[in-house]
Amino acid sequence: MSATAAGPAGGIVLKYVAGIAAVALTAALAWVLRSLIVPAVLSGLLAYICRPLVSTLERYRVPRRVAIGLLLLGFVLATLFIVARIRMIVPTEIEALEYRVHALYVLNDHYRRLMGLDATLSRGNRAYQFLHADLDPLVDRANQMLALTSQERQLFLSTRPGGADAPPDTDRLLDEDRANLQTLLQRARLERATPLAAEPPVLRPATQTAPTMTRPLSWLAQVLSTWIIAPFVFFFLLSDTGEIKRGLLSMVPNRLFEPALTVMADLDHALGNWLRGLFLECCLLGISVVVLLALIGIPLRWAIAIGIFTGATNVVPYLGSAVALAGGLAYALLAGPIHPMIPLVTHDNLAIWVVLAVAAAELLKNIYEPVVLGSAAKLHPLVIVIGATGGAILFGLVGVLLAIPAISMLKVFVASTTRQLKAYGLI
Amino acid sequence: MAWLKETSRLAGVRKLLLPAREGGQHFDTPSASLRALFGPVSRSAPVESGTDLLGFLKRVYLFEDLKHGDLARLARIVHERRYRDGEWISEQGKPGAALFVLRSGTVEITRRTGDGGEIPLATLEPPSSFDELAAVGEVARWYSARARGPVCLIALGASDLDALGEHFPIPANKILRKLARITAARLQMLVEAHCLGADDGERRS
Repeated sequence: MSATAAGPAGGIVLKYVAGIAAVALTAALAWVLRSLIVPAVLSGLLAYICRPLVSTLERYRVPRRVAIGLLLLGFVLATLFIVARIRMIVPTEIEALEYRVHALYVLNDHYRRLMGLDATLSRGNRAYQFLHADLDPLVDRANQMLALTSQERQLFLSTRPGGADAPPDTDRLLDEDRANLQTLLQRARLERATPLAAEPPVLRPATQTAPTMTRPLSWLAQVLSTWIIAPFVFFFLLSDTGEIKRGLLSMVPNRLFEPALTVMADLDHALGNWLRGLFLECCLLGISVVVLLALIGIPLRWAIAIGIFTGATNVVPYLGSAVALAGGLAYALLAGPIHPMIPLVTHDNLAIWVVLAVAAAELLKNIYEPVVLGSAAKLHPLVIVIGATGGAILFGLVGVLLAIPAISMLKVFVASTTRQLKAYGLI
Repeated sequence: MAWLKETSRLAGVRKLLLPAREGGQHFDTPSASLRALFGPVSRSAPVESGTDLLGFLKRVYLFEDLKHGDLARLARIVHERRYRDGEWISEQGKPGAALFVLRSGTVEITRRTGDGGEIPLATLEPPSSFDELAAVGEVARWYSARARGPVCLIALGASDLDALGEHFPIPANKILRKLARITAARLQMLVEAHCLGADDGERRS
């Protein structure tokens, strides 16, 4: 009697233990292989976006595998094009030095004028008196970051057309470099920065790039080993014509078959709507930012670079516009020439026009967002913030990007499952 | 006139739904109604056991207009479900999300009464289909379906049909047209069985 009673109880305990062990093993595997999750998920989402395209090609009698091959080829060409564009935007070593000289000059000049500083940089207006304790360390830090090392300065001077001893007002950048040195010395005298007269500080960009530059092959191998999975996932997910869904549903008990079918359809619908809507929204926001920044005079290549980053980061709500604002303001405050198509824009008021341009892009986004996103899962701003922070803690930047779709899908899954289970009288 | 035209067009299906009894006997209304609602819509040969899925789908009236390539595509999206004896396939009052085609075994269609009893309505054999309307939208079922012995069913979800229609509209339209014909034929037979009398309807056709 006791043996028969212990039998079923023992079986249940064994089932629970096996279930917990399976969950723990899956979680451990997911944690160990977490570096593969991001490429797998991203390529899966990309495959999802491309699925209608493959079906359309298939409808025109293009074999599915050929259609996928054509898509892969298209992606390779697009990647090469983007890399070429990025290489065009990335400045050469000399150009980077020139940008830093100019940026340092503009930063100090703006700060001096805004705070009404005198020649000694120790006395300023009321705003300075009120804020200098907080702002001076920040400006000192920016000065340290942008200042050239002695080697860099020698390289910079050697490339100047009139040489290092060219008279004033013949070479704008040389004049700015001289002014920078004066400012750095002044700040050193005030003991607010590291003494710079003898040897300007070694700058961060030089020390940061060194490890990457010295071991490019190991870095490349690391990236390749992680991302090599992406094209395979893309290919196999696009090759699937329903086998994955059928396989998942075959594991579902009969009484849950129809609810599961409906939940999967709801998830498919929500994910499809969300992805297509978001893709369109990112493209539209990126294009609006490019056009508006170009209109106020920011050179096209910089406007395109800011637009691409804006579109890419718009996956996280509000981040796209913040990136557009930061990029535009950085250019307005630090960088050089502008060619405005609007007569009122000048160097002095460019920052205001950048703010207006980004506000206009955001306004446009609010107009087309209901059209492109429709009823795709909307989340409370607080959920977005918490989700993005959690994603960042677990997976870094890509975790931020993937947190929102994951939360959206979870929301749809819970809502749909609850609805179906209620409709079928299972809860 | 239009009604008569439609009647003659559906006559072929109607004959299949309500085959004349031997000796020209009249139909009794309840059984005629049930035949109209659940009767087979084609006289296809019985399905031999061991037939592959594609071969089976080719014999189903609902899919008989599909070309070989479309049938292969359909075979990749339908779900094969196996039920034990007495297991419920669908239950009265619950929403439907898929139509079922009986591949092997027997399915009993029943209806619960107010006092908790159960009335058997029909017994289905391969390759009958049921719950066709669930494939075009979520509807609450007015009857239950239960397996009699081991049963194998082919299920086509409403979402599967939607997805097929989105990417391959021609085969999806063919299936929907068949569904519409079946529904129209069943409705007409039901009306005739209830209002006109089955024999009357027979004579007119």
